[in-house]
Amino acid sequence: MSLVAGPGRGGSGPDQLPDELQLVVETHVKYIQSLDTRKTELEYWLTEHLRINGIYWGLTALHLLGHPDALPRDGVLDFVISCLHDNGGFGAAPGHDAHMLYTVSAVQIITTLDAWEELERRIPAGREKIGRFIAGLQTQSGTFAGDEWGETDTRFLYGALNALSLMNLLHLVDLESAVAHVQTCTNLDGGYGTEPGAESHAGQIFTCVGALAIAGRMDLVDIDRLGGWLSERQLSNGGLNGRPEKLEDVCYSWWVISSMAMIGRLHWIDKTKLSEFILRCQDHEFGGISDRPGDMVDVFHTNFGIAGLSLLGYPGLIEIDPRYCMPREVTRRVMVEGGSARASTMTAAS
Amino acid sequence: MQHGVPRVSAAVPSEQSRQKELKKIEQYQQLVETVQSKFQAHEYTAETLALTSKLLNENPEYYTIWNYRRRLLQDVFEKELAKGATGEERDDVADQRARGLLSSAQHEILLLIKEDLTFLLPLLKTFPKCYWIWNHRAWLLQQASRHLPPATARQLWQGELALVGKMLGYDSRNFHGWGYRRTVVRALEETAQKEVEEQKCENQAGEVGTKGHSMTEEEFAYTTKMIKTNLSNFSAWHNRSQLIPKLLDERSADGATRRKMLDDEFELITQALYTDPYDQSLWFYHQHLLTTLSLKVPSKFAYVLDLTNEDRMHYLDQEIDSVKDMLDATDDCKWIYQALLTLAIQYPEIDAGNKRFSTLEMRSWLDELEKLDPLRKGRWDDWRKSLNL
Repeated sequence: MSLVAGPGRGGSGPDQLPDELQLVVETHVKYIQSLDTRKTELEYWLTEHLRINGIYWGLTALHLLGHPDALPRDGVLDFVISCLHDNGGFGAAPGHDAHMLYTVSAVQIITTLDAWEELERRIPAGREKIGRFIAGLQTQSGTFAGDEWGETDTRFLYGALNALSLMNLLHLVDLESAVAHVQTCTNLDGGYGTEPGAESHAGQIFTCVGALAIAGRMDLVDIDRLGGWLSERQLSNGGLNGRPEKLEDVCYSWWVISSMAMIGRLHWIDKTKLSEFILRCQDHEFGGISDRPGDMVDVFHTNFGIAGLSLLGYPGLIEIDPRYCMPREVTRRVMVEGGSARASTMTAAS
Repeated sequence: MQHGVPRVSAAVPSEQSRQKELKKIEQYQQLVETVQSKFQAHEYTAETLALTSKLLNENPEYYTIWNYRRRLLQDVFEKELAKGATGEERDDVADQRARGLLSSAQHEILLLIKEDLTFLLPLLKTFPKCYWIWNHRAWLLQQASRHLPPATARQLWQGELALVGKMLGYDSRNFHGWGYRRTVVRALEETAQKEVEEQKCENQAGEVGTKGHSMTEEEFAYTTKMIKTNLSNFSAWHNRSQLIPKLLDERSADGATRRKMLDDEFELITQALYTDPYDQSLWFYHQHLLTTLSLKVPSKFAYVLDLTNEDRMHYLDQEIDSVKDMLDATDDCKWIYQALLTLAIQYPEIDAGNKRFSTLEMRSWLDELEKLDPLRKGRWDDWRKSLNL
């Protein structure tokens, strides 16, 4: 999977409006399928540090588009396993060090592919090993480091809870102190930052609210205040920004509205205008979605654009789970099969 | 992830440019391979360090190479320190320390750290949002705090404060920059404290409190400076809101002084709002001040600790009048109506009777709000229901 930008270009630019605001499903599928064929571009190699995330983004988008088999399942699984280190963590690609960010993507891919049994066959006790790697990154204060070098961030805390709950291994960590850490990152505006004292940021809000939703502690969220702050992210062009007085960007469609869905306040923005904004960022000719109309497309924005449209109820798309950014049918299957009581932590919206 | 990269035409590349691209790929892959093999062989040499520099200049997002670089430096530091721990050099170390100088190991470590900090500078300027570069910088400084005398480490951290000031000068909202600034300030406060403690051990001098090392006053002044440069800097307003409770504690401020601070902040934000009533950064800080009045506010956010209900009424009344006055000059700004309704929602918390607002008045504000801000109609509908309008 390549993170290479283009060749497609999002939208038709500010000068000429698209004829119709239709989601070009087949074109996006072809775009995502084509990403691994671009090895003759330097950019393909320069983005290797995002390869496994790229597969998660591409695979999720394809599932939402109703084309779950568009990528070769065996090839994807082989690649994911080739990124696994002895310590149970995954790197971005073979030869890249293990880190929380890539381990979470790997777990999400394996879960979406329903491949845990296969993983266990190939790596005996692999699931437990992966769980232990993640759990080993929890710090004294309850938060999580990204890797052995010790950088902490609420992104890693969320990633840990996301992956562990998908593997039904949440008992490996101190959930209570993780929740307490999220609480210390709360600001008076209802939002959350990267660490205690840091400014509220829509991406970090997604991670903190997502972590609380997975932990079943939505009671700690100041719903109306946070909902108000999040709703002010929508700009007159329909797009959303991530902080006050910043530019709109398709990826924030996801970070903002998934959080709004989790607190049951998605109706506080204009959903039609946001859908239209995302659709205007498509490349109708070559597929893919960009950050803003007229910019280069990439698979990151393609996934979060389609995820946003799914949450907004765009017809024909598979339903998404706002806590995980994965198809709802996948998270439902894992939770039921694993006998997890976490189903009761479903969002306030649902 | 591509952000803000304008599209270019998707023309098929010429054979010549295709060959050129393939050549570049080959060179890049060769460099990657060389670096990987050096690390597999644990060749922690100056040559390997230079190769990682070359690779990171081409691709600063290659996080594994940053890890390699740290492993290499760690190895060199350890070897230097081991040398210094051998018997014959021990006396020298004691002598040097007595004279307040660095040991030869510390001297080497300092040089390496300084070189690496210099290497990072142009990268940070070109890629100000790359997490790995900021991380590596913080790691280097942590190593300084660990291996060097507090006074030397403090000088390096002091340099970081200047750097982050510059970075926030280029982009005053860079949240990596603001986060790093908080880290630097914390470290400076800690090293200053360590320095004093070390001196105290040596001289067995009198008591020294932690308060003397706090940088809260300077940081508060910095937010004032940033806000005066650009009112629309929510990052600066946010940091200010975090610093004020700390500042008041450190000043051992009494009730009157705290009220004076709150009054001053209300005055500052009101002036700012008159300058630009359409700027949401300002309204969020105004809202922050109002929220600190709430009975439920956690004490770490509170400006005034002993507010009476009378005080609360006073502030709410003052703000209702002040925001209403803004309507005289501006009647098409949704934020004014939104603020008035927020005040109306907050009012009953203190005065259950809520006679301050007439239903008619509130309904007219909500009608205006709906007209001016149709995007958030769902929220205004919810307000209409909960306020019985």
